[in-house]
Amino acid sequence: MIFKTTHLLRDTGVLGMNRRNAEYIMKYNPRSAFPLVDDKLLTKQLAERYQVPTPPLYHVIKHHGDIARFEVALKDHREFVVKPARGSGGSGIILIVDRIKKEFIKQSSEGISREKLSYHMNDILSGIYSLGGLDDQAIIEALIHPDPIFSTVAYKGVPDIRIIVYRGIPVMAMVRLPTKASDGKANLHRGALGVGINIARGTTLSGVHRSGVVTYHPETGNSVKGIKIPYWESMLLVAAKAVDMTGLGYLGVDLVIDQQKGPLLLELNARPGLQIQMANRAGLRSRLELIDQAPSDIFITPEIRVAWAMEKFSASDS
Amino acid sequence: MKHPAFILAVVLLVLSAAFISYRIIWLGYPLFPTPHVKAWGLSMEARVKPYQKEVVLRIGLPSNHTGQVVVEEQITSGSLGFNLLREGPNQIGVWSGSIETEGEIIGYRATILLKPNRPPQTRPPKLEPYPVTVGITEQTLAKRLVARWKQLPSKARLLAISGTAADDWGEPPPDTKDLQAWSEFREKHGQRTVLLVLLHAANLPARTVDGLLLTKSVASIPIRWIEVWTGQEWNKLQPETGMIYHKSVMFLPLTTGGLPPVRVSRGKLSEIRWTLSQQIVTQWRAQFERTRLSDHLLDRLSLFSLPPEFQNTFRIFLLVPIGALMICVLRNLIGFPTFGIFMPVLMALAFRSTGLIYGLIIFAGVVLIGYVVRRLIDRLHLLLVPRLSLILTLVIVCFTIVALFGSKFKLREFMAVGLLPFVILTMTIERFFVIMEESGAREGLHTAMGSAAVATITHEIIHIESLQLAFFVYPELLFAVGALQILLGRYTGYRLSEFIRFRNLRGS
Repeated sequence: MIFKTTHLLRDTGVLGMNRRNAEYIMKYNPRSAFPLVDDKLLTKQLAERYQVPTPPLYHVIKHHGDIARFEVALKDHREFVVKPARGSGGSGIILIVDRIKKEFIKQSSEGISREKLSYHMNDILSGIYSLGGLDDQAIIEALIHPDPIFSTVAYKGVPDIRIIVYRGIPVMAMVRLPTKASDGKANLHRGALGVGINIARGTTLSGVHRSGVVTYHPETGNSVKGIKIPYWESMLLVAAKAVDMTGLGYLGVDLVIDQQKGPLLLELNARPGLQIQMANRAGLRSRLELIDQAPSDIFITPEIRVAWAMEKFSASDS
Repeated sequence: MKHPAFILAVVLLVLSAAFISYRIIWLGYPLFPTPHVKAWGLSMEARVKPYQKEVVLRIGLPSNHTGQVVVEEQITSGSLGFNLLREGPNQIGVWSGSIETEGEIIGYRATILLKPNRPPQTRPPKLEPYPVTVGITEQTLAKRLVARWKQLPSKARLLAISGTAADDWGEPPPDTKDLQAWSEFREKHGQRTVLLVLLHAANLPARTVDGLLLTKSVASIPIRWIEVWTGQEWNKLQPETGMIYHKSVMFLPLTTGGLPPVRVSRGKLSEIRWTLSQQIVTQWRAQFERTRLSDHLLDRLSLFSLPPEFQNTFRIFLLVPIGALMICVLRNLIGFPTFGIFMPVLMALAFRSTGLIYGLIIFAGVVLIGYVVRRLIDRLHLLLVPRLSLILTLVIVCFTIVALFGSKFKLREFMAVGLLPFVILTMTIERFFVIMEESGAREGLHTAMGSAAVATITHEIIHIESLQLAFFVYPELLFAVGALQILLGRYTGYRLSEFIRFRNLRGS
């Protein structure tokens, strides 16, 4: 029975955890490049150099002593996001939508006092949210106003788009839709919805919620299928460029679409998860192997790589 | 498959196999180390009374030689002093000193391990000179009598000579004058001596041995036999009747060369008793004793050469890599989620002292309490290092309470709690909290169950005593473990859990 199942999974081209680690991450992701993606501030600076737009940076807090003066640096920005530079899984992020005399208003419309916000920044600097408990920096950047395209299928929060890139070629993509259960966070483990995307057309396929396949949003009841994602090709291009930026051959690129500023690079991930296969109801392995067989001249520029991906991965919309 | 990892793994496997075969084939290690082996327990007890005040008692004691190892010797000497002497090939215990007139009881106890699979002595023994009491005429007479058997092989020569004890000289009988002279000689010196003279004349090395028959028995006088070398082995001969003992009859020699096994000067032995009983000895000790006396390189490199108090540490050390191998299998082949990588191994090792069930209960309880406290102190916004220190303090507090509870209700398992890895528990509480916060309760409980399952399976495997023994006797098995770890490191196939995880993708 196990042999049969193995065959079925292999025929579907599913990529397992062991193979992802040994054949792709260890082979194509040099350890020395990991800090570039683990530290969001470094990623931001790198993106700037490659003219890849990211959420505008307002201020960076490096030392505990600087916390008291952060409001001066904010100038007249009334809404902003505080996040740890080395955080993971969306922890330690606070969205502020307004400032009034005594306190700040969080996205959940709760108030948060200056004192409490300072405490939170203190925590960030001490490394409470950072990988491995290292000292950290707090980033203050612009609040994203998500494009209304997903408004019928997302609960609060900011939907983000994950694109897996292998050797500079976009392989598979999904959009992560926050739900009430996930508390507005675009984190699949917490119950967010993952919806596959047709690479060629930029339209959504069916999705995965928990571990089941869904075509309707479990809370709003609206169909998640067939949504045409704006700026699709330019997002693929950003993803394709990420390999030139970081030198990482197997990468997860996370983007958001802002109402005014368009697609922005949120962060990069050197160990992207395998859940994306469920959202697309397709295996990564067969696509990765297709790329390994491709002629070397398709790898020259990001534009050629994107065009090749759109041609090859136009898989059916089932 | 010419990946360097495979080559390294094969090299390690070959290395491991080579060391083990060397030990088994050349050093005679057991192929399947069993936890117990049979051994003989010898107990000697004697009561001695003095003629004057001073008394000296010399008693032959069993010694180490091919096929026999004496361990755990214990001496009772009362008010006498004790010394160990070597007299030729013999080990003599000397009890001496002044005693009161009512006498003193002395004793000796030992465990004797037999190694039948050891190859017997291969170097032929020298032909000893004739007994000093035997004159030249008797020597030439003996030579004349055995001359007719010169051409026979040594075993047949021995058979022919042993027959003379029953006056069977074969056909044709020797000269009547010679026979007459011979029986006079026998009258004078006794059957044993004349047999020895004949054997010597026939070029067969022989010796007199005093000792005990190795059966469950109580004996008050040792028996005496003649051992004759026939080129391959020592044949044992009953000296009065000339009967050759069957090979299966086992003896425990006390003295060889005709030295009396018990000698008393200036005193009297009122009673002496040897008791032989069969014993069960753990293989740990048996192995330790056999290697202690060996001069082979691998025997000397054995972990049994460590002092016993450190051996226990290594018994556990050697199991850690097996535990780690189990983690590799359970995580990379099956796909169990666990907190940290080695946490379950350390848990499994800790369960050795608390027991599995109690260990799991205590572990779950401490993590649960830790989680609740961690939630509460989250509001205090403590910095990382002091916060972890606080959790560590909490863990120790929990241990203390559990131990006190155990002492109140006489539960040893609860008192052994101190050996649970408290640092690992602290980190587990923190990780559990982070997973519960970031990925939700489902994921948190899932990981907790996975960790407990892995710890349980690992505990059950490292609990197998023959496995522990195998690693202790053959530490080179660690190379094989390393090879398996390398092979698992190159396993890029699916994990069992992924069949479930990706079940919706099958065939779509």
